[in-house]
Amino acid sequence: MNRQRWQSVSFRNPYLFALLLFLLALLVNFIFQPNLFQRSILNSNMRVFLPLILLASGQAVVILGGGIDISVGAIVSIINAILASQLGAGASAEKTLLVVVIALLVGMVAGSINGFFIAFLRLQPIITTYATSFLFAGIALYILPEPGGGVPLVISSFYRDTTPLGLPLGLYIILLILIAWYMTRQTRYGRYLYAVGGKPDAAYETGVPVNTVQFSTYVISGLMAALGGVAITLLTGSGNAQVGDALTLASITAVVIGGTALRGGVGGIAGAILGAIILGLFKNIISFANVDLWWQTFVNAAIIVLALAAPGVINLLRRKRI
Amino acid sequence: MTVSLSARNIVKRYGGVVALSGANLDVHSGEVVALIGANGSGKSTLSKIINGVVVLDGGQLLLDDKPIHFSSPQAAKKLGISTVFQELSLVPQMTVAENIWLTREPLRKAGFVDQKSVHARTVELLALFEGTYKIELHPDATVDSLPPDEKQIIEVLKAICFDPRLIILDEATASLDSRQVQRLFELVEQWKLQGKAIVFVSHRMEEIFRIADRFSVLRNGKTVGAGMMKDINERELVRLMVETVTATNVGQRHRLATKRSDEFPLRLQVEELKTEVLKGISLQLHDGELLGIGGLKGQGQRDLLLALFGDLPYLGKVKVSDELVHFKHPQQAIEKGIALVPGERSKEGLLFIRSILENLLIPSWKQYGFPLKMHKAHKDGSSISSTLQLKMESLDKEVSSLSGGNAQKIVIGKWLLRNPKLLLLDDPTKGVDVGTKAEFYKLLAELVEAGTAVLFYSSDDEELLGLCDRVLVMHDGKIHSELAGELLTKSNLVAASLGASNVSIE
Repeated sequence: MNRQRWQSVSFRNPYLFALLLFLLALLVNFIFQPNLFQRSILNSNMRVFLPLILLASGQAVVILGGGIDISVGAIVSIINAILASQLGAGASAEKTLLVVVIALLVGMVAGSINGFFIAFLRLQPIITTYATSFLFAGIALYILPEPGGGVPLVISSFYRDTTPLGLPLGLYIILLILIAWYMTRQTRYGRYLYAVGGKPDAAYETGVPVNTVQFSTYVISGLMAALGGVAITLLTGSGNAQVGDALTLASITAVVIGGTALRGGVGGIAGAILGAIILGLFKNIISFANVDLWWQTFVNAAIIVLALAAPGVINLLRRKRI
Repeated sequence: MTVSLSARNIVKRYGGVVALSGANLDVHSGEVVALIGANGSGKSTLSKIINGVVVLDGGQLLLDDKPIHFSSPQAAKKLGISTVFQELSLVPQMTVAENIWLTREPLRKAGFVDQKSVHARTVELLALFEGTYKIELHPDATVDSLPPDEKQIIEVLKAICFDPRLIILDEATASLDSRQVQRLFELVEQWKLQGKAIVFVSHRMEEIFRIADRFSVLRNGKTVGAGMMKDINERELVRLMVETVTATNVGQRHRLATKRSDEFPLRLQVEELKTEVLKGISLQLHDGELLGIGGLKGQGQRDLLLALFGDLPYLGKVKVSDELVHFKHPQQAIEKGIALVPGERSKEGLLFIRSILENLLIPSWKQYGFPLKMHKAHKDGSSISSTLQLKMESLDKEVSSLSGGNAQKIVIGKWLLRNPKLLLLDDPTKGVDVGTKAEFYKLLAELVEAGTAVLFYSSDDEELLGLCDRVLVMHDGKIHSELAGELLTKSNLVAASLGASNVSIE
């Protein structure tokens, strides 16, 4: 294999590291929890992992497009607050559907706000979404000042116990996301996304609608965060306006573990999903190993710092060599 | 296929700076028009207006005799106008095929990209330059992994993949080798036969005469001449590019060195200095000498200064006062008495929101101990500012309160406390008004008089002619020629900048 082919292969398979980490995490988890591969355990794991998987998928799209979305956790909180406060245990099926649809729209509106500021007013993604995260968190607290509320039991048990063909519901959702992503990559939009994340100036000069693409990534992220919010509400069956707080950092970490470069233009959603699952397994391991939960935050943060430092370190080494 | 484009009386301003006023260009099917001009004459701006990257402020664009208005490159592309950009428009992380077809991907039903067709057509396009690649070029290779000439070829292929009617080649040959240029020119001949129109922007005289049918010359944003290539020769073309009556900024020629500088010791010796851009630079500079560096923008002048200042890795031998050095950090260069005055003072030269005193003392705080001896600092600051004749309220005012000229003095003044032996100037008067320039020249003259060696890159030819005894003209990362004495004339400077082979005494 010649030089170019090899480089392109390693470029095209940024998931290699994630895959190895995944196998390792799986192994360690299995040692602590030998019944890991039992159907009921798998199902409950997937149920718990799913909200982060959804968030990380959206985050991956934003980061691929050269941005970052720090407001996803707050959007999750808003959705959770809306669902728990509006539904309660006795809501009818029609009302539930209506409220869920509204919640998804709210997520997209929140994403549009981010997208508008960043793509059309050219504000910094990190500052903008940090600011809007407080806005969204405030709205969530306004809707649901105290933890409480709930969702009809029928729905949360549907989320918990539906296992088509004996496989966890989450697997089917992952499959759906992957199919949607695979198809997106085959469209012009998919190419635009990579181009905008890779080199926006070049993309613009080529005629790619850069602003629109950037805007769309935040709408997608808002929608995925809303879906994550729905999932977490069904998982917990109750409302808490701060439920999303911890998810923001985790979603970024998942994307980074999955081989997507924080500077944009390289990577994909499959890696982010794998990254989210790895983080879930870490969490399992930490709880089984009886280690304090803050280790989880520590690990997340360390991964991001390393990912940020890597290009700089490589540059430094290259400079030294000459 | 027929096409005709004409740009009439185009005006473009960036802030207060007029880039174009009264620029014209006509190009028709089956011909190559060379767009020519010296540094800053507005060639790039004009081609960016034609391809929709920049929006014009005045004038008219006619395509096939109908007025057109672009708001984006997309709009221009839709009308069949395509550009090979000087600063490539490729996304490094994407593959060759993805880059070539970006926004033009052949689609199957339902909006999916037709991968097979993309691959097949990319192979076809790559075949146009068959035999000029170092190793076989694969459609799935990432662009990042390619050498500069192959990137340039991809940029060309990208511009022609959708069969445009008008192609703008903006310095498209800059990084190509002679075989690749030859192939490109064969293609240009084919395009002409197909009825395409081509605008050829180039600095290489030899290529202009080889390929162009007509020419259009820009000077200071205005079209000053156009005609058939066969009716003109190199010398006349250069003369058109050069102002006949020089409204010189420098005023009278006050060449600085009154004494012969080679009586002084050598301050700087450079042998075969190489970086990614520089292809082997050798030069010698004496104390009390002002050595000019000229040439078109981006021929490696900045790299040379940065490398000498330890801000860019390089290969080669550098001697400062007969001592072999290899700086890896500007700090080391500063310790040897070298100072760099950057061109963009707002970005690199000054901290606008900090005080005048702080800006003056930035390179020298080391001398003030711990805790800083502020009294001494104030005293030194005052003495420097009176040397510079700064017009200011007080040393503690922020730099942004100063006029442009006074701020410019600080860029150089901050090095004076360290008593620099070698001053590297990177186009220090770019965007500076005439009065400021005059004061700057005076300061420079005093420094040279006092024995400082100065390496002076300027994009302003007048300035080089007015100040320097000797000018090295850089072209394509090399020193193309050394002009001194009688040979140091405006037309020789311009001709050498363009890589013309012969320099003559007029």
